Amino acid sequence: MSHSTEIDSKDAWGGGQSPLKVSYGKMMMWFFLVSDALTFGGLLTSYGFIRHKYADVWPKAENVFTHFPFIEQHLPLAYVGLMTFILIMSSVTMVLAVEAGHRNDRRKVTIWMFWTIVGGATFVGSQAWEWYHFIVGTDTGALRHVWSQELGTYVEQTVYGANMTVNEYGVPQFANYFFFITGFHGFHVFSGVIINLIIFLNVLNGTYEKRGHYEMVEKVGLYWHFVDLVWVFVFTFFYLL
Amino acid sequence: MSEFHDDYPSYETLAHHSEEDGKKTRKVLWRVFWYMLAITIFELIIGSMAPGNGWSGTLWLKVLFIGLTILKAGFIVMAFMHLGHETTFMKYVILLPYAIFISYAIFIILDEGVYSGDSINRTKVDPLLIKQQQDLKAGHGAHHEAATSGSDQHEAHSEEAHH
Repeated sequence: MSHSTEIDSKDAWGGGQSPLKVSYGKMMMWFFLVSDALTFGGLLTSYGFIRHKYADVWPKAENVFTHFPFIEQHLPLAYVGLMTFILIMSSVTMVLAVEAGHRNDRRKVTIWMFWTIVGGATFVGSQAWEWYHFIVGTDTGALRHVWSQELGTYVEQTVYGANMTVNEYGVPQFANYFFFITGFHGFHVFSGVIINLIIFLNVLNGTYEKRGHYEMVEKVGLYWHFVDLVWVFVFTFFYLL
Repeated sequence: MSEFHDDYPSYETLAHHSEEDGKKTRKVLWRVFWYMLAITIFELIIGSMAPGNGWSGTLWLKVLFIGLTILKAGFIVMAFMHLGHETTFMKYVILLPYAIFISYAIFIILDEGVYSGDSINRTKVDPLLIKQQQDLKAGHGAHHEAATSGSDQHEAHSEEAHH
C-alpha cells in the first residue's frame, strides 16, 4: 500500500496505481446498486406524480394499515413500524458481520449473519401478512361501480380489499403502485435472504477462512444495506406522507 | 516498475482491522443504530398523530419527513455501507451520477408531467369513491373500526373532526 502513495511520472502510465482504492468486486457491486437505485428512484418519482394528481381520492395509510398480528385492535402504522425496525436491525447485524469479517473472526461472522437471515425472513413474512390484509380488506367494504360482463355496464357493488382493478380504500392506482413497488422491494429482500444464506453456508464451510478474507460477506452486506435503504424511502412515501 | 504486485488493490491489504479498530467501529455502528431508531420512532409518532390535526398533510410536514428520510439514507450509505471511508473520488463516482439522474427525473416529471393532465384531465374516477373520500374528510363514517365501535364514540369523533 505505502509504495503506491508516491507516484513517479516515469511509471505512472505503467499501471499499478489505484485512484479509487477499492477492490474490483466491491466497485462492481456499487455500480449495480447505483443502477438498481435508479430503478427504484424512477418508480418512486412516478408514484409521487400520480399520487399528487389523485390527491383527493388517494387513501391515507393510517386508514389502510391498521392491523397488528394477534391483537384485535385499531393500531395504525404500528406493524409497519415494527417491520421497519426489524429491517434496520438486520442491517445492523449485517454490518457487524462485515466488521467481524475484517478481523477474520469466523465465529462472530456466523452469529451475525444468522441473525441477519432471521431478520430478513421475518420481514418478508411480515410483508406477506401486510399484503394479505390489504387484499382481503375490511368486513364493511365500500360501494363502487364495477364493470359487469353480462350486463355490459357498470353496476353498484360492495368491494372488499384491493386488487389491480378495484380498491376499497381509494383509487386503484394506489393498489397498483403498492403491489408493484413493495413487491419489487420484497423480491429484493427475498433474493437478499437467499444470497445471504448461500454466503452463510460458505462461512460455515470455512471457504473464506481458507481464502484469507471475507470480501464476499462485505459484498452481500452492501446489497443487504441497499435493500434497507430502499425500504427507508418506501416507508416514507407509502406510509408517512 | 518491478515493484508492482497487483493490477488493482487486493481486498486483504485494504480491509484488515485489528481488535482495537473493531471495538471503535462497533461503537460507531451502534450509535448510528440508535440515531436511526430514534428518527423512525419520531416519524411514527408524528405520522400517527397527524390525522385530524391542522398540520396533517401540510408541505412542511412532507419536507420534514423527506428530510429525515434522506438523513437516514445518509447514515446507511455513509456508515453501514462504508462509503464514508472510501476515497473522495469513489464517493463522487457513486453519488454524483445518481444525484444528477434523479434530479433530472424529478425535474422532467414536474415540468412535462403537465402534459398528461391536471386533476381535471385525469382518468375518470368513480363518483362513489369521490363521495367516500369526501365523507371520510367530513368525519362521517370515519374509518371502519369507528363505525363498528358504537354510535356515541362515533359522534364524538366526528365533532372533533369538525372542530
